[in-house]
Amino acid sequence: MVRKANKGLSKLVAIAGMVSLLIIGLVVGYYINAITQQKSNTNYPQEFGEDIAWRTSSITLSGSTTVLPIANACAVAFMNKHPGITITVQGGGSGVGYSNVIDGVVDLGMASREPKTSEIDGAKSKGVDLWLHPIALDAVCVVVHPSVANSSYPLSLTLQEVGKIFAGIYKYWDEVKPGLPHKEIVVVVREPGSGTRGTFEEYTMHPWKYNVTARASVQPSNPAVKNKVETTPYSIGYIGFSFISEKMHVVALAKEAGKPHVYPTVNSIAKGEYPISRYMYLVTNGQPKSGSLADRFIDFVRSKEGQQIVEANGFLKLPYVYPTS
Amino acid sequence: MSHNKCASPNFLKSFDKPVEKLMFLCALSSIVFLFLMLLFITREGMQALFTFGADFIIGPVWETNSNLYGALPLIYGSLMVVAVALAVAVPIGVATAMFVEEVLPFSIRDLVKSLIELLASIPSIIYGFIGVLFLAPQIASLFGLSSGTVALTASLVLAIMTIPTIVSVSGETIAAVPKEYKEAALALGATKWQTLKNVVVPTAKSGILASVMLGFGRAIGETVAVLMVAGNVAVIPTPPWNILSPVYTLTAAIAMQMGEAAVGTLEYSALFGLGLILFIITLVVNSLADIIAKKGIKGEKGL
Amino acid sequence: MMRSRSWEKVFFTILGAPAAICLTVFFWITSVLLTGIGTIRLNLLTTSALQGGLFEMIVGTAYLLLGAAGVAGPVGVFAAIHLTEYARHGRLIRVIDQAINNLAGMPSILIGLFGYAFFCRQLGLGISLASGWLTLALMMLPIVIRGTEEAIKMVPYNFKEAALALGASKWETVKSVTVPSAAPGIITSILLGMARVAGETAAILFTSCVLVTRGLPKSPFEPVMALAFNLFVKIVALGESPDKVFGIALILFLLVISFASVGIALRIYYRRKQPWLR
Repeated sequence: MVRKANKGLSKLVAIAGMVSLLIIGLVVGYYINAITQQKSNTNYPQEFGEDIAWRTSSITLSGSTTVLPIANACAVAFMNKHPGITITVQGGGSGVGYSNVIDGVVDLGMASREPKTSEIDGAKSKGVDLWLHPIALDAVCVVVHPSVANSSYPLSLTLQEVGKIFAGIYKYWDEVKPGLPHKEIVVVVREPGSGTRGTFEEYTMHPWKYNVTARASVQPSNPAVKNKVETTPYSIGYIGFSFISEKMHVVALAKEAGKPHVYPTVNSIAKGEYPISRYMYLVTNGQPKSGSLADRFIDFVRSKEGQQIVEANGFLKLPYVYPTS
Repeated sequence: MSHNKCASPNFLKSFDKPVEKLMFLCALSSIVFLFLMLLFITREGMQALFTFGADFIIGPVWETNSNLYGALPLIYGSLMVVAVALAVAVPIGVATAMFVEEVLPFSIRDLVKSLIELLASIPSIIYGFIGVLFLAPQIASLFGLSSGTVALTASLVLAIMTIPTIVSVSGETIAAVPKEYKEAALALGATKWQTLKNVVVPTAKSGILASVMLGFGRAIGETVAVLMVAGNVAVIPTPPWNILSPVYTLTAAIAMQMGEAAVGTLEYSALFGLGLILFIITLVVNSLADIIAKKGIKGEKGL
Repeated sequence: MMRSRSWEKVFFTILGAPAAICLTVFFWITSVLLTGIGTIRLNLLTTSALQGGLFEMIVGTAYLLLGAAGVAGPVGVFAAIHLTEYARHGRLIRVIDQAINNLAGMPSILIGLFGYAFFCRQLGLGISLASGWLTLALMMLPIVIRGTEEAIKMVPYNFKEAALALGASKWETVKSVTVPSAAPGIITSILLGMARVAGETAAILFTSCVLVTRGLPKSPFEPVMALAFNLFVKIVALGESPDKVFGIALILFLLVISFASVGIALRIYYRRKQPWLR
């Protein structure tokens, strides 16, 4: 009896195996078909007598994960525009970006900070001249729910006060400033590893060795933080500049007590007056040869189209305009 | 072996030799690569080990910003997550193995075993994905936490990932218990449950223990899923048994920071140092499992 | 006696609960992922990554898998033949056995770390398809060796004896009797090995993958895009919301599960087909 049942089952199993093999075969066939179709699509019209060497070349980028979304989106857009070229984007970190450019492993590095002295020395000893090309600005804005402050009762804080709030040292709003409501502060943060969180903590937490309070609500993206702060009374959070909305109050920040409090505006960020802001860079060894692919890609990121991508990813476009490519 | 050298014409034998050598080299490859792994991970990790000495293992501060690398919080994080995971996975895994091998009718046994094996083949990134998307919010609302990415979540995900290992290895040893033992017990009037409790489990004891060791090895080496749900804070929780606080594990630190670390820096070397710690832990655990399993087989023969 | 019998029933029912938990978890994960099937379109599979599709990642994953199988398959099968047919039981074989077990238990992140230090940097392969093949092959090797050993041991002894008695040499016997009889088992073990590495992220994290590039690698020394890697980077580094990456997760899941279920089904089938074992 038992053996009979087994026979039936094993037959069933065999049939299932065959069917799945068949499906795999079909899928593979479909793909081979698709590959051949794709190949025939790569014929692009030759443009006039211009130097076309760059049109078939390729470059590699590596470095900061903060710049990664911009580089990724720009690389995709650029490749769609120019069918012959290849741009490869790897991750890493700012340190990897610099060291790879110094070692000549990649054509373009991505960095969200200026090089450290050790990196400049390393570059000099290898005869490498690091060129930084700003491509975007990153400003992190501290926002609160309107129940805490609004345009008639604005809130301004120093970086250390912000740090104390996010570290949980201040538990109630009236501990921060007398006159604020005696309500528990709801802290909203991004997930560890987020570039926005990295920038924010670099300015408000790291200088005083604070750690984010365990009571903080962790949100996975800028829109999620925006939504949470908009809907949660007595909450405070931080978001990229382009995500600010009318339903929240933006906090003016001062570097330290006694310094002027600055609201994040396009102007104050570009001038570097707003304290939590930094440039995003593409890094090259020396000035890229005019007309080379690296040069054109940098131009593209700085063009109107590239800067739109920058803004779509929650960064700030550059304050000055570059000619479109 | 009895059938090792057999008579065959000499002119054919000449062709045997090079192939035999090639096969021998292939067989050696696993030793060679294991040795190379140890060699290269040690070589790259030397700088950190020399810089920090014993502090590399017992130092309580792991801070990239200030170039301080003490792996204690990471080792503690790894061990804590795995301990809780095993506390969940071992009872469930062993009970499942007993149920599948001893209770389930033969006809559906393979089906259930296959499904459990499929559970093992789900990629860890998928476990992490589901953990972040569904388990973490559940844990957060259940315990009133602001964020669900804590040690407990990581432990639960790990438990699910470890159960198949425990089921398959301990199931194998339970299945290997000689039929005569069970029949003898049943003939003496023992019930099925008594047979299971007094004959099967004691005989398969060492195999079950080995399965737990293997589960430990699998859990402590798990990377991506843990990284996504453990919260990644390099601090020993207060109090130390607080499983509702975020932890950073050895594997998560390597995966998260390796991309950021420029080759040749102290951070790069420290990450290989973590690799070395992990290598030694897994080597010891796996070898112990091997020894326990082999001892079990020998003990059985002597019975 | 009756009392203990009814107790027994209760006990066994309780014992069944954990097994039910395991199965529930499996079906839960499957159903969770399948609910996402509505969010993806079929043309996602065939459109290029540059147009927001997954084409290069799927084919890139296939490249990685086939290459790794191409390395681990022959090496693993040869090693297994040596271990079962040629080696004499001795200290060396015990050490090799131990090494295979240890390699099987090595965390994939360590294999990735080693792959980066050895294949990428020491051998100078860089971040490339070839580094990925070798690293993944290292993970497949123990599975292929163990599976092949099992398959070879299943070949009845009298098959080989007959061949040897006819005057065939050892190698000829292996080549024309042992391996063909064990072939289904060998193929199954390679399939199971592929299932093990198809969803692997940690091992290819530093060794062979990039976030975006054009098309597929034209040589083994170029980097590749892969499903698992992209899923990881998009969630962990880029912080994209889960609904945007649901398609990748689902396809990766289906890919791995189909490999694994075909492998497991074949293994059960061939184990049962060999009646001399029972």
